[in-house]
Amino acid sequence: MANHQLTSLIRMANQIAANNTHIGDENAEAEMVANHLSKFWARSMKAQISEYLNQGGDELTPIARKAIGLMSSAG
Amino acid sequence: MLQYFNPKQQDFDKDYGTPASVSENLITLEIDGVSITVPEGTSVMRAAALADINIPKLCASDNLEAFGSCRICAVEIEGRRGTPASCTTPAEAGMKVTTQNPRLGKLRRNIMELYISDHPLDCLTCPANGNCELQDVAGEVGLREVRYGFSGDNHLQAEKDHSNPYFSFDPSKCIVCSRCVRACGEVQGTFALTIDGRGFDSKVSPGQNQPFLDSECVSCGACVQACPTSTLMEKSVIEAGQPEHSVVTTCAYCGVGCQFKAEMKGSEVIRMVPYKGGQANHGHSCVKGRFAFGYATHEDRITKPMIRDSIDQPWREVSWDEALSFAATKLRGIQEKYGRESIGGITSSRCTNEETYLVQKLIRAAFGNNNTDTCARVCHSPTGYGLKTTLGESAGTQTFDSVMQADAVMVIGANPTDAHPVFGSLLKKRLRQGAKLIVADPRRIDLVKSPHVQTQHHLTLRPGSNVAFINAMAHVIMSEGLEDKAFIAERCDTEAFNAWRNFISEERHSPENTESITGIPAAELRSAARIYANAKNGAIYYGLGVTEHSQGSSMVMGIANLALATGNIGREGVGVNPLRGQNNVQGSCDMGSFPHELPGYQHVADDAVRARFESAWGVTLDNEPGLRIPNMFDAALDGTYKGMYCQGEDIAQSDPNTNHVQAALRSLECLVVQDIFLNETAKYAHVFLPGSSFLEKDGTFTNAERRINRVRKVMPPLAGLQDWEVTQALSNALGYPMNYNHPSEIMDEIAQLTPTFTHVSYERLEKLGSIQWPCNEMAPDGTPTMHEESFPIGKGHFAITEYVATEERSTRKYPLLLTTGRILSQYNVGAQTRRTDNQIWHDDDVLELHPQDAEDRGINNGDWVGIASRAGETVMRAKISERMQPGVVYTTFHHPHSGANVVTTDNSDWATNCPEYKVTAVQAVKVTEPSDWQQRYRDFNQQQLGHLNKARLNEPRSEESAIAGK
Ligand code: SF4
Ligand code: SF4
Ligand code: SF4
Ligand code: FES
Repeated sequence: MANHQLTSLIRMANQIAANNTHIGDENAEAEMVANHLSKFWARSMKAQISEYLNQGGDELTPIARKAIGLMSSAG
Repeated sequence: MLQYFNPKQQDFDKDYGTPASVSENLITLEIDGVSITVPEGTSVMRAAALADINIPKLCASDNLEAFGSCRICAVEIEGRRGTPASCTTPAEAGMKVTTQNPRLGKLRRNIMELYISDHPLDCLTCPANGNCELQDVAGEVGLREVRYGFSGDNHLQAEKDHSNPYFSFDPSKCIVCSRCVRACGEVQGTFALTIDGRGFDSKVSPGQNQPFLDSECVSCGACVQACPTSTLMEKSVIEAGQPEHSVVTTCAYCGVGCQFKAEMKGSEVIRMVPYKGGQANHGHSCVKGRFAFGYATHEDRITKPMIRDSIDQPWREVSWDEALSFAATKLRGIQEKYGRESIGGITSSRCTNEETYLVQKLIRAAFGNNNTDTCARVCHSPTGYGLKTTLGESAGTQTFDSVMQADAVMVIGANPTDAHPVFGSLLKKRLRQGAKLIVADPRRIDLVKSPHVQTQHHLTLRPGSNVAFINAMAHVIMSEGLEDKAFIAERCDTEAFNAWRNFISEERHSPENTESITGIPAAELRSAARIYANAKNGAIYYGLGVTEHSQGSSMVMGIANLALATGNIGREGVGVNPLRGQNNVQGSCDMGSFPHELPGYQHVADDAVRARFESAWGVTLDNEPGLRIPNMFDAALDGTYKGMYCQGEDIAQSDPNTNHVQAALRSLECLVVQDIFLNETAKYAHVFLPGSSFLEKDGTFTNAERRINRVRKVMPPLAGLQDWEVTQALSNALGYPMNYNHPSEIMDEIAQLTPTFTHVSYERLEKLGSIQWPCNEMAPDGTPTMHEESFPIGKGHFAITEYVATEERSTRKYPLLLTTGRILSQYNVGAQTRRTDNQIWHDDDVLELHPQDAEDRGINNGDWVGIASRAGETVMRAKISERMQPGVVYTTFHHPHSGANVVTTDNSDWATNCPEYKVTAVQAVKVTEPSDWQQRYRDFNQQQLGHLNKARLNEPRSEESAIAGK
């Protein structure tokens, strides 16, 4: 529970996804979000969120999940 | 023949009597036999002054319109009767003017005699002695006797007014020239002064015959500067006497970037006089820049390096060498134990470009990671993101002067008369000339009701509804066919535009459909959109009310969309203009403070860019972005981030959710703070490196118009080192060598590595006065207006900006929305202004609330109110105010003990993590005592001041502060 960073990261990823979800094409949206994450997030943040996704990523919204998947495979 | 004088070459220390004419028609006339060519509309007085024929004057000054009241400037003009006043007479082609002959001489002596007969003759002991225009003119006209004596009625006993902390008013010396009255109206736009009474009885009067302090006066000092006598005079001059030399430098407070002549006696600043050659301020300033410089020599300044092993211990004063090697050893130790990425640093928007550049260089090259961020994170990072995405460059598009060409001005979430006062004055001037004004702000800012200004619309939108509002504006423009089709076709990306048009045209964005979100009546919003779109030149100015939201970046893009759609980009009078908070916010962003960008907004993942930096710096650079400030705090709490170098920034007070920040700071093993005071952050530090004020160093600041201004050292650094020297010494101690001899060498390195700075150098700054970047082969003298022909990304990019409601909304538990802001007399966290007499205007933060909300809670003016949010609770005094709308409360965060940021949450902008200072759901209740947090703060503060005093008691000490690290 004491993982502050992860809590923030989940929230941030979902927020980024929520603000990029209106182009109508889910893949394009996920790609925008993935781009944003690789461009602005630190290495440790990317690693943490990818790991969280691998463990299920329950609290991530669908677009955020897809984006993090994309980012990890590209990374 | 004397040629027309280029205003750029004019002598800024000379008063030409009347303002320059901007006409392009040139005319030639003859003055005292000298032929001179001037722009049409130039006064005879100014034409003469340009030819160095200096006609005596008293009521004229070249920053004011000619008034023609004193008549001392009378001249003869061939073919005309009488002796017209040269200040009010326009020069005409072929005119032949005589400025000196016996008749004029006699006339002037007579006028002077009348003045002097009602003027005390205590020149030798007068504070203006040596700098008095009345004295000068008496000398010029050859006054030798005063026949009337002082026995008649006079004003010699008139009472003085010392109420203002910075200047005195001595009416006995007044010659009723009304320069002060006109300066207050024309230049400052406050209209606090009038000439009361008529004829002999006439006198200058603030407000309704009140003392200055009780009038509407905002203490800008324009009247003091305009006064030709000692009637209005700086108290510092009355005390110390006239200064003996001066140095031109730049204000270190806000993003306007006013230039000043620091008028000195030895190494002591006697007064600051706004510099006429300052290209952002043209000789005007506000109370902060002109008067509030006393903090620089305040006794709280810390001038010796200090160290301690833990924050529970007293400080120990040590030599520079010891402090630096202590810091270096600790930081390296942390890296060995927790890894390369376990430390980082924060650059300051208050420091110079050169200093900021050096700090991020130290982090990237000496720490070996990209964990650098800046306080701009918490104010304007969305501007960078939003403008770069849409327009291709992370900066405002105009000069300040551009507003004088605007026909409709929209001010969104900004409070220029308080936060950017000199720009506010210019804006008010344009509004008095008839430009239309639309204000979008939850609170009634002063601009809405300023004298002689008519506000077309004040859109009182609900905090958090910005994007819904801007989308509705765009919807009106597109659905009513008000867009600039030619501009869009020629200058904007078609695919992006089509997608955006489809999006924005959806009915759900209409003002009618968004009214329930924004609270703005649809008809009013439609009318405002029409005014902006139909204006020949429409300009948008915005501030932190736009950026400090969970959708700050979306809002910035929404604003850019609006400007693109209406073709309001790429010429004078239009544009998208972020009003930057601190003096060097623009510069600190430009200089690579952000974790993902090297200087010049060049991404760290770009191999070619990195290669250039790597070869110049001789290290390998990390290709992944580093941590942002909020990420650093999170990582600190998780135990992966352990050390930090923090220059000139008070994150403990300025960042949101204070409880969280304090816990993070406590968890650090080594916090190095470099500042001029023991600020709130320093109370958690292990190493304190004393900083230097802007008066103690050389460098540059970049203002909100991308203007690079020189900062010049006027006194030696109190602690022996300028800030850049400290960073350099720390870097050397860490084993990464830096060997600059002067900040100009740092600028040369910046120019070499930053494509938008290629042609910037101290030499060129000296020559041009200031430079607006981009400044390179394409624009060797800089770029006043951006995007004139194309965008750095080619075409303008419309961005889709979906409104996403913030998670921070009012609930039953927290039914009010708190928004935060600034006031004129205090600056940001107040570390500087609280240590000046500006305290007189604002000695505490208060909670402003609407009478209805107050009544519902039984709160009266001045009551203690507890303000609670889900993040924390604090207590302030209540101020009931009609400026607020019901349901919205407001405060400032200039004082640490008021704890405004204990209440703000860690919500932030989706793209940049800029905190959502502008929306916090709160409850307010009447209470009788300070909050728990405040009691804890008081105890902790006491304890830390005790630790500081211990260090100071150990004096006197040896001469060990001899310069280290060179
Ligand atoms: S200080 Fe400024 S606001 Fe006050 S009276 Fe003088 S000009 Fe007006
Ligand atoms: S106070 Fe100074 S500027 Fe104002 S009317 Fe008197 S002499 Fe002129
Ligand atoms: S605070 Fe801003 S407006 Fe005031 S003098 Fe300084 S730069 Fe100018
Ligand atoms: S200076 Fe011309 S009338 Fe006073």
